[in-house]
Amino acid sequence: PHSALLTSSAASFQMSILQYNGSAIVAMVGKDCVAIASDMRYGIQQQTIACDMKKVFQMGDKLFIGLSGLLTDVQTLKQKFDFKLKMYSLRENRPMRPKVFSSLVSSTLYEKRFGPYFVEPVVAGLDAKEGPFIAAMDLIGAPVFAKDFVVSGTTSDELYGVCEAFWKPNMGPDELFETISQSLLAAVDRDCLAGWGAIVHVITKDGVTTKQLKSRKD
Amino acid sequence: MYKIDDHVAVAVAGITADANILINYARLAAQRYRYAYQEPIPIEQLLHRICDLKQSYTQFGGLRPFGVSFLVVGWDEYFGFQLFRSEPSGNYGGWKAAAIGNNSPNADSVLKSDYKIGDTDMKKAKSLAVKVLAKMLDTASPSPDKLEFSSITLKDGKPEYKVYTKKDIEGLLKDAGVEKKESSGDI
Repeated sequence: PHSALLTSSAASFQMSILQYNGSAIVAMVGKDCVAIASDMRYGIQQQTIACDMKKVFQMGDKLFIGLSGLLTDVQTLKQKFDFKLKMYSLRENRPMRPKVFSSLVSSTLYEKRFGPYFVEPVVAGLDAKEGPFIAAMDLIGAPVFAKDFVVSGTTSDELYGVCEAFWKPNMGPDELFETISQSLLAAVDRDCLAGWGAIVHVITKDGVTTKQLKSRKD
Repeated sequence: MYKIDDHVAVAVAGITADANILINYARLAAQRYRYAYQEPIPIEQLLHRICDLKQSYTQFGGLRPFGVSFLVVGWDEYFGFQLFRSEPSGNYGGWKAAAIGNNSPNADSVLKSDYKIGDTDMKKAKSLAVKVLAKMLDTASPSPDKLEFSSITLKDGKPEYKVYTKKDIEGLLKDAGVEKKESSGDI
């Protein structure tokens, strides 16, 4: 008998809207420096579409935001923050400080408390006076200000593990780069929805260095 | 003088309080355009939006018009460098050279005679601007603290708004031949 096998779609059981695209974001504090990194996969559920999708954006000279979650909201929010940042710097005639920016992100998200953006952002920056700054938020803007590292995305559980193991205080820019890169690479290999390339930004008072990592493309 | 976005700036003459409202409006308009189209607002589009607002205060609501004239300068990829002048009525025009504020009719006539279309580069333009401004202030040699000077130029293909420092302005005055000379001591 012909087994009436309905062609099953490649889609797996969808658990949550925050897992529709998949991402891994991590930020770490070093000695007078911060690093922020993310994977580059653009996928729709199980299918991978591209491996050059930016999820970390430079918002200012020494200010970055990484956005995990639903990619359309990631891109829309980036554009909204560009708007708000530009208005701020034109009115106040100075760049926005990282702590202030993360407050802006938080309030922007809470405004949509009952119909939220499906993103979980990570802010990383170097404040001119107060030094390294990192923060992460949930989709309705609840912030956590950490002294060591913050993580976000479908790979967050794995990232918590590796970061806890590898992070130590007062790392210089090179050591910080190594640590954050190895943490990210190790974590995404345990997550089928993230990976396919990675990008790392290290911010020091001299500037920003950006490197792309060679990773497993599966 | 105020920056509206990276590629466009304005100079103001008139009631400052009114101007502040319009400048904020212009900044928002520029950002809204940028958000919607992901590209910088063309200069005339921006000016049009400002002038439509100015005009509406001359026709609706029983409110008084904005007592502000603008000189709008900028660069966009469609029409290159542009200069526009707008007035309280909401009327605007594109110009090669223009003046607003005190003694602007005089300045306009000087510009009309001295500005050579097609033969005025940045250096000559800056020089002429400084000379004309000095005339508008009714002084032979204005001091650098009395002037504000800024420009929009292309740097690496991208527009850049630069505000001149006191030192820069001193240099400009010198080049134009209107620098403040030490007083000989009047009796």
